[in-house]
Amino acid sequence: MTPVTSRGFGRLTLDVRQNLPAWKQAVFVGSSLILGLAISVAILAVAGIPPLTLASELAGVLTAENLRGVLIQAAPLILVGLGASLAFRIGFWNLGIEGQMVFGGIFAAAISIYDIGPPATRLILMGMAAALGGALWVLLVVFLKLRFRVNEIIATLLLNYVAMYFLFHLLYGAWQDSKTAFPQSTPFRPFERLTDIGYGVNTGLLIALGGVLAAGWMIHLSRIGFYTRFISANPRMAKVVGVPVQTATIWIIAISGACSGLGGFVNVASQEGRLTQSFANGYVFSGVLIAFLSRNDPIVVAIVGFLIAVLFITGQTLQVFYQIPFTMVQMIEAIIVMTVASSEFLIRHRIRWIR
Amino acid sequence: MIDFLVNWLANAPVTAVPYALAALGLIIAERSGVLNLTAEGLMLVGALAGAGACLALGGYPAVALVAAMVAASAVSLLFAVLVVVLRINQVIAGLSVVFFCQGFTGLVGTLAKWQNKQLTGLAPLKIWPLSEIPGIGRILFQQDPIVYLTILIFFAVNFLLFRTMLGLRIRSVGENPGAADAAGVSVTLHRIFAIVAGSSLIGLAGGYISVVSVKLWVTGMTGGRGWIAVALVVFARWAPWPALAGALLFGCIEALIPQIAAAGIRVPQYLMLMTPYLATIAVMIWVGTKDSGITQEPGALGQPHVREERR
Repeated sequence: MTPVTSRGFGRLTLDVRQNLPAWKQAVFVGSSLILGLAISVAILAVAGIPPLTLASELAGVLTAENLRGVLIQAAPLILVGLGASLAFRIGFWNLGIEGQMVFGGIFAAAISIYDIGPPATRLILMGMAAALGGALWVLLVVFLKLRFRVNEIIATLLLNYVAMYFLFHLLYGAWQDSKTAFPQSTPFRPFERLTDIGYGVNTGLLIALGGVLAAGWMIHLSRIGFYTRFISANPRMAKVVGVPVQTATIWIIAISGACSGLGGFVNVASQEGRLTQSFANGYVFSGVLIAFLSRNDPIVVAIVGFLIAVLFITGQTLQVFYQIPFTMVQMIEAIIVMTVASSEFLIRHRIRWIR
Repeated sequence: MIDFLVNWLANAPVTAVPYALAALGLIIAERSGVLNLTAEGLMLVGALAGAGACLALGGYPAVALVAAMVAASAVSLLFAVLVVVLRINQVIAGLSVVFFCQGFTGLVGTLAKWQNKQLTGLAPLKIWPLSEIPGIGRILFQQDPIVYLTILIFFAVNFLLFRTMLGLRIRSVGENPGAADAAGVSVTLHRIFAIVAGSSLIGLAGGYISVVSVKLWVTGMTGGRGWIAVALVVFARWAPWPALAGALLFGCIEALIPQIAAAGIRVPQYLMLMTPYLATIAVMIWVGTKDSGITQEPGALGQPHVREERR
């Protein structure tokens, strides 16, 4: 028997890297991002969108008049990204973002439909209701996880379908706008809508940026942020030294759900101005992607959220003018996550060829 | 009443087959220690490939189902590379594959204009004379060939996993990859094999939905059945036969929905459509309340193996 290594062509081995300089890490992540985008462009080219057309569409999205649409779209995406990143920070896979958005939208719409509170404070009330709706919907899963050890990945994903059918139940039934045949609620009144405050900036975006600052303060400066880091590093140790692990976990996840609920409200109150069937579609993986690329940092979430908004608006343009289905956006998001996640392997390991 | 029962139970195997095959495919992969969330996406790939092959060939549903299996296996190779070779977090990788498949199948199916086109489907296989027994005959002996094939597949996979050397190696890699590696079992190859082999069954599950059960293709037509299959694996504690029982349970629940509507019972339609998802959560609660007892959960489920990182 001859040993394997003497066959002549050698073999691959992995070395574990202790650390890699920050700039090299940035090079790996950056080039993997470019690779992901290149694959996406190639797939679109095969699907009938030549790269040049794509570039001109992208340039069109970034013109002054379309930028307004991007800023409106960025608000729910940032809020959803905050929701995902807060939950991921504590090791809770909140994949129920769409369900929480739906319930945020439903709670906000309920305030409008049942005409609760004076007009002056109506929007604030709707926002609070939406946050409550999203938080309650995710707390249901928290309860199931803590009490019955139900896996939250499956539970949150399945509850998205339940929330969607509940929305359909309302929109094809009690809440359907009697003036149209479409499954939509009655439009919100003017004082129930988020409006433009100049320079293309929408009040929804202000809510999102306020959320970014609040979450940034919470994660980086407040006590609960410190607890969060402690719990995600070593929950048992945290418990032993007296960190209120369960309370902190529940609060963080509730806030995560509230962010998604607010995202639903912002989306409904700034774009369509009424509940529609599909207002929450495509946000689950967007949330995952934004949290993943921003490494769960609230401040970076704002930047990444804006970039994903550009992708969303481009996707809508391609859908309208080239009949490319909007799920294409999800495909590109998935490709980017795959390539960027793969770069972590190269950051942590060195591949060597041993003869 | 008897008619209602017979109609309902005669449809249950058709709705149960996708759950059963997808859960079984997941069990094979998870027994090798890979947390596999890709079922929803790979079922979509199978559904698209099956429908596409059927339309391109103008029939031949059996060939279309093979195409579904091959397509899902091919896409699962991507997942295998991500989690086994590149050691990406298995939840992130699984989710990416699902959403990639959702986008990709939507794109391909729409561009190829396969949407809402009638497919031929498979004729039922009457097992004469048993098929002529009133009631029972229609429920058990007039199903399409895949229903019977599914049971054979369960026997085959059970044999493979628990009675062969290959099965032992797959399970050892899932239980303790370090020890298996030291014993000379290639963790990488066995995990890749388990993922790809299991995914062919998930693809068959998806192809069955489009080619045999619904007989047309629409975007996102699996509607969360893949996630229910993931839950079924937990419910079955990674053992094949309980997964078949669970699949039958969910098949009965899903088959009940159109029957209730057909019987003229007035139940809000969209609340009815929630039942499979709520039932899944109920089942998971039931699993959680039970004493943990005997579980065959693989010891290294979700853990990547890097030989050079061993302690």
